[in-house]
Amino acid sequence: MPAVSTSRAGGLSLPRWSRLTYIAVFIVAIALFVSVAGPLLVTHDPYMFGASMNEPPNAEHILGTDDQGQDVYSRLVTGTGLSLLYGASAALVALFLGGLVALLAMALGKVAEGILFGLVDLIRAMPGILFALAFIVAFEPGVESVILALGISFAPNFALITRATYLQQMARPYTSAAKVLGASRIRTAFVHILPNVAGALITQFAIVLPRCIVSESVLSFLGLGVSPETPTWGRMIASATPYTEDAPHAVIAPIIALSLVTFSLAIIGNELRTRFDPSRRRIAL
Amino acid sequence: MNPRLARLLGSIGLDLLRSLAIAAGIVVFTFFVIRMIPGDVVDLRGIEGSLTYSQQTAMREELGLNKGWLEQFWLWLGMILSGDLGTSARYSTPIADLLATVIPSTLALGTAALSIGLVLGIGLPTLACLYPRSIFVALVEFITIWSITIPTFSIGILCVIVFAVWLGWIPAIGNFTVPALILGLDIAGTLAKMLHEDMTDIQTADFIRTARAKGLNRAQIVLRHILPNALTTVVALIGLILASVLTGALTMEVVFGLPGLGTLALQAIKGRDYPVVQAIIIWLGLAVVVANFITDMVQKLVDPRLRNL
Repeated sequence: MPAVSTSRAGGLSLPRWSRLTYIAVFIVAIALFVSVAGPLLVTHDPYMFGASMNEPPNAEHILGTDDQGQDVYSRLVTGTGLSLLYGASAALVALFLGGLVALLAMALGKVAEGILFGLVDLIRAMPGILFALAFIVAFEPGVESVILALGISFAPNFALITRATYLQQMARPYTSAAKVLGASRIRTAFVHILPNVAGALITQFAIVLPRCIVSESVLSFLGLGVSPETPTWGRMIASATPYTEDAPHAVIAPIIALSLVTFSLAIIGNELRTRFDPSRRRIAL
Repeated sequence: MNPRLARLLGSIGLDLLRSLAIAAGIVVFTFFVIRMIPGDVVDLRGIEGSLTYSQQTAMREELGLNKGWLEQFWLWLGMILSGDLGTSARYSTPIADLLATVIPSTLALGTAALSIGLVLGIGLPTLACLYPRSIFVALVEFITIWSITIPTFSIGILCVIVFAVWLGWIPAIGNFTVPALILGLDIAGTLAKMLHEDMTDIQTADFIRTARAKGLNRAQIVLRHILPNALTTVVALIGLILASVLTGALTMEVVFGLPGLGTLALQAIKGRDYPVVQAIIIWLGLAVVVANFITDMVQKLVDPRLRNL
């Protein structure tokens, strides 16, 4: 891929990182720093209404205020942590649901595999956003529903990778060796195969993470994500969109933060995939 | 019967069964998830103050909402199996009419995006393969990175701000070209990535060396031997691409204020209009299942290696 200049001749020389990847890592590092150090960086209480509304950036409010008179900069800083946290939680739910459950199903045999991958096909047949919307409305809008809904709709990515890797590994001698030594299928799967699936799962995690962050903002933008006062990026975009003419800064600030971070995470994920995941093409979408 | 034909038919039959099972799954799942939503349309209109208590009871009875879930399910199943989509609980119009008014615009957006995506997504990698030292390789890399890293949602909002609010080039509500371009580029990038990788791999295959030894020129090799082989990957993913086009179209409609399935779905969800939400999810889901089934069948007809049961 473009981000890497591969040297295929020497088996040991790893492809060099491109400049783009360095920039991406740098941006993600800043985002992580801001999430952790958020409370020290804010200049105002992100939840406090007080100041006059839709003020352009000035000395008091360096990114201006939004339609509620809240400080955009402070909300952005707090939102960085929340957006990353919710996105990562959703991706983790998907990883566990998709990865571990699929591994268990594969170990249990054909029937469990058939049932689980029937479900996977079912989820994949429904347009993701609609599925999440229905799910969230059914279980009351809120952070937990959003995380669970996104976790479920991204779980198939992990399940498919797990199945592909599992089948590959089962064809290798060490799994037969485990069987000869008397290991059960479950033990073989979780003790011997899991470490070999882990790499592919982590790579997939890096791919799914930015998508989860974006999906959370889309859901919030549609009014079905987190509660209105929570300053995730999507929520900020949603509440500022009607006032684009008076206060474009209140939309643009979270959009730029969202774009920069998802861009960087996607670059890193793609870099990881190019390096470590040979089955990449089958699950490209 | 010819054993090869039997194998083909058997394999397609199994696919058909699987598709039917998934379709049934979608129908059942949608019904019960939607029923778990607390509060129904009657409650909501009661809160809004447009209905008295006795009107509420009458409306529940009329809509069948006072019956048990299971009974509602059987009634509803019988109804959709007979081709009746039911009526919107909110607007008292047949859902078929509601869908008929919005589906053309969603379909237009999806088709436009898909066409842009297919032309660029297949054209650029082919040109890059034909002219490996040209600008086309860089273009393929560009749209690939673009589609991986730039979510259609945020670029859509940015476009609204820049082109509609600041520059005034497009109307803020109801622009069609920009969302179609954004979605199209997204699909093109996904396709171009796969095709480019596949075409690069196939270039080193034995049959390409044979073709070269026969004296074919580069254009013949690329167009007649490399491209058709690489296209099988694209065909395999048409179902998934379709699902992502639909999802993308739904978001774009809301961002650009276009009428369509996405806008209708959102209104219906916010208004607790179950029958409409159900109809939309089910019909979109069924469309994807049918598309997947057809691609599977086409692939098996074309490629004998896939006919294993």
